[in-house]
Amino acid sequence: MKAESVRIPEAITDVVTGRKISLLDWKATNQRASILLVVFLVGLLASIGYLVAQVFEPGAALFFVGFASLLALSQSAVAFWAGDRVVLVASGARPANRDEHRYLVNITEAVSIGAGVPRPKLYVIDSEAPNAFATGRDPNHGVVVVTTGLIALLDRQELEGVIAHELAHVKNYDILLMSLLAATVGAIVLLRDIVFRSMRFGGRRYRSAGGGSRGGKSQMVVFVLLALLMILAPVLAVALRMAVSRRREYLADATGAYITRNPEGLARALEKLLEYRGAPLAVSEGLRHMLFVNPVRALNAANIFATHPPLEDRIDRLRRM
Amino acid sequence: MTTIIILAILAGIAVFAIGIFNRIVTLENRFENAWSQIDVQLKRRGDLIPNLVETVQGYASHEKEVFEQVARSRQAMLSAGSVPESAEAANMMTAALGRLLALSESYPDLKANENFRVLQEELAGIESKIAYARQFYNDAVLQYNNAIETIPGVLLAGPMNKKEQVFLEIPETERQAPQVSFS
Repeated sequence: MKAESVRIPEAITDVVTGRKISLLDWKATNQRASILLVVFLVGLLASIGYLVAQVFEPGAALFFVGFASLLALSQSAVAFWAGDRVVLVASGARPANRDEHRYLVNITEAVSIGAGVPRPKLYVIDSEAPNAFATGRDPNHGVVVVTTGLIALLDRQELEGVIAHELAHVKNYDILLMSLLAATVGAIVLLRDIVFRSMRFGGRRYRSAGGGSRGGKSQMVVFVLLALLMILAPVLAVALRMAVSRRREYLADATGAYITRNPEGLARALEKLLEYRGAPLAVSEGLRHMLFVNPVRALNAANIFATHPPLEDRIDRLRRM
Repeated sequence: MTTIIILAILAGIAVFAIGIFNRIVTLENRFENAWSQIDVQLKRRGDLIPNLVETVQGYASHEKEVFEQVARSRQAMLSAGSVPESAEAANMMTAALGRLLALSESYPDLKANENFRVLQEELAGIESKIAYARQFYNDAVLQYNNAIETIPGVLLAGPMNKKEQVFLEIPETERQAPQVSFS
């Protein structure tokens, strides 16, 4: 039974900025960040497009800028409307059904009522490794995926805790921001590949044109700047995605504890996952930051490459609530 | 000039009042909707009873007192008219079903029955849905009560005839209900 007498804080201190964040306001922050991210992505790609034009074809600047902006917008649009399907296919999840996964369906329905969101679509991955993630774009299109290993490993309170954690990602619009971040990384990498490929091609033409009527010092500077940007942008985008996901895990834990009014359930679930010594969940690298815990043990850590905070730290925070 | 200023002030007050009015109505709808969520789950639980009783009777037909208690609680549920009455009947039913499920401890054949296990899981699921729905209801009532008892809501609550709502209490027995494991 749920311990409703336990008082759960409605606000937690953000680990990054040290400010108090109301769990109920987090959604608005994410929605703003999502819009800003799309604007930033369009701006960044448009600028890169402009620089590329300056190097190769100053006359066609409009075309290059237009192409880059379109790439940014279409990536964002795909992430918004089809991000969940992409992730589901990539992870090999199949829809859960009531007869086979009665336990999971019942628990998810219950926690959704507590969280005040529509029941998300449920999917399962047939894998021994206990894990879970959420995707979708808003609470009306929420998707929660769990592995069969998780269902087998956890008792009711623990599974409620994990589902509540995932519903927190749904309710707070973390899922939207994470989809758009994935699209950002994708768009930047895609543009880098296009530019590098055409640089090799364009570079030949550049040399064969010879004489340097168009080439000059300023063009060289733009060229170096562009190359630098193209190498750094993807790295920075990935680092941003890591930082964003790391910080959201604490918030989702806290919100999950608030939804169930039972931090202990989630803490025990994390403990069981910490003790799990079987084969890790086999998913592509691009999905790992979305999972409940990173299947690569070393990536649940405090360093900048980690996608998740250390499990011990998450457990400790829950126990201190 | 003064007329314009007075009109502007009145318009400002009107906009402000409409805002408060809408907030109170929104919060009222929220807890009423939250109650209907509880109601849906209580009905679903009631619907499970005939099937459950029939299954258990196949193994423990002489435990008449338990079956009667379940039947009485269902009757109370069906005849309840108001929110407090429904809540009362729901608590009765929780206690009665707790006893019914506990019978499986004395009847290993019943405990092993596949149909019983499915019903047991469904019941455990509904119990936790009721608990969460009640938590959501109490949260909604708290927000509503705060809205109509603090300034500025309190100024409109009187004219709108809005009254403080009571929380749903959880009976001690239910808090200690045994955890049903289904693995």
